[in-house]
Amino acid sequence: SSNEHKLNFKKSKEACLSYIQDALLQKQWKRAAEFLTCYVESLEKDYSREHIGPSEMIWRIGTEILWHHSQSSMKEFNCFMEQMKTLGVKRYLKVCLEHVFHLLCDGQIDEAYQNLSLAESWRFGEQTAIQDKEMKLVQAYRGLLDYYSWSKQKNILLEQGEDGFSDLAVEQEMHGYFRKAAVNLKEIIKIPGVWDIFVKCYVDLLEFYGDHNEARQVLNEYAYNSKFPANPNAHVYLYQFLKRQREPKKSLISALKILHDIVPSHELMIDFNTMLQKSKKRKKRRLGLEVIFAALDYAGWKENAKAWSCLARQVKQIVISEKHLDWIKQEWNSRKDWWPAFHFSRYLAKRNWQEDKSLSYEKALVAGILLGKGCKYFKYVSHQGCKAQLKRFRMLKKFVNRHNLVYLKISG
Amino acid sequence: IGCWIPSPAPQDILYRRGLCRKLRAGKSGATLDFARQLGHFFVDHPEDAFGSLGRLLHKNFHLGNSKLQRPARSSTIRMTALVEDIDRLEARRGCPRQHLASRLRWFSHLCRDWLFEVPLGLLADCLHEELMQQWSNLLFDDSLTGGALAWLPPEDGGTPVGCLVHPGGQAMNHLYFQDVVLEELPRTRGSPAQFELSGRVQQVAAARVDGQDFVGVRSDYHCGVWRVLGKRAPTPLQVIRTDVPASCLTVSPHVPGELSVCTQSGTVYLWSVETGLQQLRHDPQTMFFRDHSPWRWSDFTAHPRVLSCADRTGLQCLDARAPRRCHFDLFKVGKEAGCQQGERVVLPMYLGRAHPSQYLVTTQFSVYVLDERLPLVPVLKWAHMMKAPPLFAHLMPGKPGRSHKVLLGASRTQELLLLQYRGKTSSFRGGSQSACQLAGTPQKLHSIAGCLQHLPTQLPHHHHLLQQRLTAPAAGLAATLQEDGPRKSMLIFQLSEAGDVFCQRLTHKAAQPPALPSRDEATTAPGSSPLFEAPASSPQGLATALRYRRWLRALSRVCKQPPRHTWPPSLSQRRLFTRRDLEGPPGPSNLQRQMRQQLRQTMEEGGRIQHWETLALQPPPLPQTLEPAGGPDPLSARLTAAWAGDWEQWWEERTSFSVAQRQRALRERRRRQKRAQGRRSLSASFTSSLTYQSELSELSDTGPSLFSPGRPPILSQEGSPPAGSPPVGSPATSAVPDEALLSSQSLRCRGIPKERRKTLRDYLSVWAECPPEPPEPPGSQASQLCIPSSQSQLSASQPRRKRPRMGF
Repeated sequence: SSNEHKLNFKKSKEACLSYIQDALLQKQWKRAAEFLTCYVESLEKDYSREHIGPSEMIWRIGTEILWHHSQSSMKEFNCFMEQMKTLGVKRYLKVCLEHVFHLLCDGQIDEAYQNLSLAESWRFGEQTAIQDKEMKLVQAYRGLLDYYSWSKQKNILLEQGEDGFSDLAVEQEMHGYFRKAAVNLKEIIKIPGVWDIFVKCYVDLLEFYGDHNEARQVLNEYAYNSKFPANPNAHVYLYQFLKRQREPKKSLISALKILHDIVPSHELMIDFNTMLQKSKKRKKRRLGLEVIFAALDYAGWKENAKAWSCLARQVKQIVISEKHLDWIKQEWNSRKDWWPAFHFSRYLAKRNWQEDKSLSYEKALVAGILLGKGCKYFKYVSHQGCKAQLKRFRMLKKFVNRHNLVYLKISG
Repeated sequence: IGCWIPSPAPQDILYRRGLCRKLRAGKSGATLDFARQLGHFFVDHPEDAFGSLGRLLHKNFHLGNSKLQRPARSSTIRMTALVEDIDRLEARRGCPRQHLASRLRWFSHLCRDWLFEVPLGLLADCLHEELMQQWSNLLFDDSLTGGALAWLPPEDGGTPVGCLVHPGGQAMNHLYFQDVVLEELPRTRGSPAQFELSGRVQQVAAARVDGQDFVGVRSDYHCGVWRVLGKRAPTPLQVIRTDVPASCLTVSPHVPGELSVCTQSGTVYLWSVETGLQQLRHDPQTMFFRDHSPWRWSDFTAHPRVLSCADRTGLQCLDARAPRRCHFDLFKVGKEAGCQQGERVVLPMYLGRAHPSQYLVTTQFSVYVLDERLPLVPVLKWAHMMKAPPLFAHLMPGKPGRSHKVLLGASRTQELLLLQYRGKTSSFRGGSQSACQLAGTPQKLHSIAGCLQHLPTQLPHHHHLLQQRLTAPAAGLAATLQEDGPRKSMLIFQLSEAGDVFCQRLTHKAAQPPALPSRDEATTAPGSSPLFEAPASSPQGLATALRYRRWLRALSRVCKQPPRHTWPPSLSQRRLFTRRDLEGPPGPSNLQRQMRQQLRQTMEEGGRIQHWETLALQPPPLPQTLEPAGGPDPLSARLTAAWAGDWEQWWEERTSFSVAQRQRALRERRRRQKRAQGRRSLSASFTSSLTYQSELSELSDTGPSLFSPGRPPILSQEGSPPAGSPPVGSPATSAVPDEALLSSQSLRCRGIPKERRKTLRDYLSVWAECPPEPPEPPGSQASQLCIPSSQSQLSASQPRRKRPRMGF
């Protein structure tokens, strides 16, 4: 009966698919290709209402096979892609984009650009929301390629400028690229999402043409619009822009403050701390201590000698001035139950000493002040340092011994 | 190799008859064979099903084929007919319009309310629940999440000896720490350190902090942590017990001795060996949308105080210092991550060893890599195409500039997948950060069952056994990278549910000159073109085959052995009563008859029996003063209490006395006795104490629980003498004048009624269990219960003391 036939057909289709997957995962491209030619038959009777239909399967698997198959060429690949574009109307733009990526990987930038332009002019029935978004993406990538051409022209012009003569035609061309790129890039970054590369290119364009206000607006929008996902990079770009613009410290600090709130473990926190430590305001210096303590909470910072030296410097300052010991006390309060095991174990003392003497020096200073001279880390490092007759370590020992009472005040 | 009981298969649970197939054609979903399982229960556990009523009624059930005789017919039914009816019914099964035999209906109507030990409805509910549980476990068993195999890598610069930690044994309740030498072929060294645990091991997790390995072991209701320090033997540190099964145990890679535990009730704990448990969250509901699964998971993040916690709908991170206030969403099943419908989190894993802020999340369809600095938007997504959801994952971080390798493993299908990805290399600072991307295409590795074809040909039934063993679901996954000189390879260990550990090696082949120079990024990716050396395809394979042969031999040996525990353990009563003890008296003895007659006569007369004792014992010389005039002795205190009716309370008080007090009291009593019976020889009293002990030793065989205060009557049962032996002139009793205290006369002299005397004797014999001169320091309970075997040997040769039987 037809029903049974349908069932059997479905079964053999599934079996075929699993053979293909098996071959793919074992990198047997030839075998996979052979099975795929059988699987194409399943297109004839596509009754499935599954998440991924056979035609999409064929597109995805075929791309993968052709990309890796030792005997396939780019020509065949392009041919296959063209076929796939006609196979499913709803997927047309997606297939186009994927094709473009492959072309780019292959270094065929002009072909890729052509394909994107073609895709942009494609129309089919009424546009759905998804198609709209995909179209925006196609346009954005075209804008990105325009930006690429623009920056190539720019470099040519800059080189020529050095030689002393300029080419008007090249300049014209460059401005053309700028206009095309700017239009498309501007569109995509209006949609909530993570568009790091597009934003950077757009800001670069704007800055070149001196449109700093627009650039600032774009970056502010990207960083502060609550519809966008909380993206630390957005704040990094903003900070870098402000720095380039030689903005006052205050706005730099406020940009980094937000970055600190989102990602306390960001690399820029060292810059932030140095900036804050230099500040004359008490509140800012206080924040600086908070920032560096918070950064050192993270496992990725454990052996960062720079960060430890920042902390050591600030702690030393506070101890010598004997003011604001309560800052240290407050920071230490939430950490005293786990920092000793996390940072100041004897095992780490040994390892740090072997691997990085200056790191162990900074850490030993912090440990000696926070935990007293009886602390394992400090004891081991200062002992080793004195044994090696390093003057720095002898001074360290003296310093900690002199300020041993601080530790009682902090932990008390 | 141990024996292994395979877990239930679908055909054990599902209904599979013609009728059902018809029913199922329309609807999807499985039909559980409930009736068959209930039937199995009745057959396998008749005692639990209808123990007491069965025993009461067994006279009324006739099991033979013969016709019943007239007088019996009125009170007995013939079961054979019922059984025939049932068989007929069985044969007609599948017929939708079957008529129950009227006799059966009548019987079940009559019996269903009272015949069953456990009410039938309740029993059926429980069984159904269990079946559903088993069935959902068969479809997807998430208790194995994380895997029960851990690899403790060799110490840096030390000898290449690592350690595999895995469960084994019939019930997978033994934990092994097996040293493994990494050579051409990995080789086990020495016998493993072994721990017996009280539950099936579901997960073994390990992390190295400060040069020490911490191994966390999870079973359903217990979690334990071990520490392995270099070459020294593993030391157990702590065990916790949970009321609800634990679903997750992970070990902190940051702080020594810290773990995180989740239970199925939705509770997340931070467990520190030093400070104990800290509850971080309790929420039986899932986080982002409603999902019925009670599975929870938690792991550590880049910040040692921030833990991630997961359910099927996503991941959240909580700060252990303020878990209620400080938390953020790390991953949500939904459109941010581009999830499919029905997609659920299967296994999250912290990838800290590769990148401090990266996280792996697997679902049944895809693998995601997340960065906690940019939550909710995955930095990498890839559809893994595995047939079963990946329950195990193992990370091997690559050196700077190399790819990180992640192994994914599934349980039921034994699938094993290797994928490599490259995290960002340049720093955030320059802003030129390269995205996280897959390096090369993922690769499927050989499953355990795949080695069957490489093994030598077997006899068909051996082949079947072997197949069954090799296709057992995988239970764990571990791997290590090995580099000796230019040769790089990857060793992958897989644990099966049968407790076998399998190993395969991937050898890195230097990238061949690629045919198409434009396409070499895939082939030159480090480690992306590994080659699996199948057993029996190389000289090395030959060695593998040889080793397999040894394993095979052991396997077939085990399978031939009859399983040791085919029957449920039953309690033997032979030690308590001999057959002779249990035999009833053939008839009243002369004495008893005489007594009975006398009693009846006296009762008729309404008088009292006064010369009862003259028949019993020769009166021993009465002690002059039995008791000093001091406060009431325990005996009279007890009797007073007994008469007042609150004997039980007295007993409680009495037994809760400290051992020291008991011994003191005893010593006092002995001293008094000695003083009272000044003439008696020491040896005689010694003998008597020995006989007491011999009784005790017999009892102590059955375990110390018999001495629990609640069960004193046990002793009186023990003492029931063989029938018909008159207590009069019994050699033992007469030879033991020490018995004076217990003799009927002495009791009578003190005004104790006969009915109470037996109890009293029993009671005293309990107190007599202590040796007369207790040499032990007070408080050593064990020494009281433990009797040297030589003494009990000695006492065996002594004539057994027969206690006078009380009355009749």
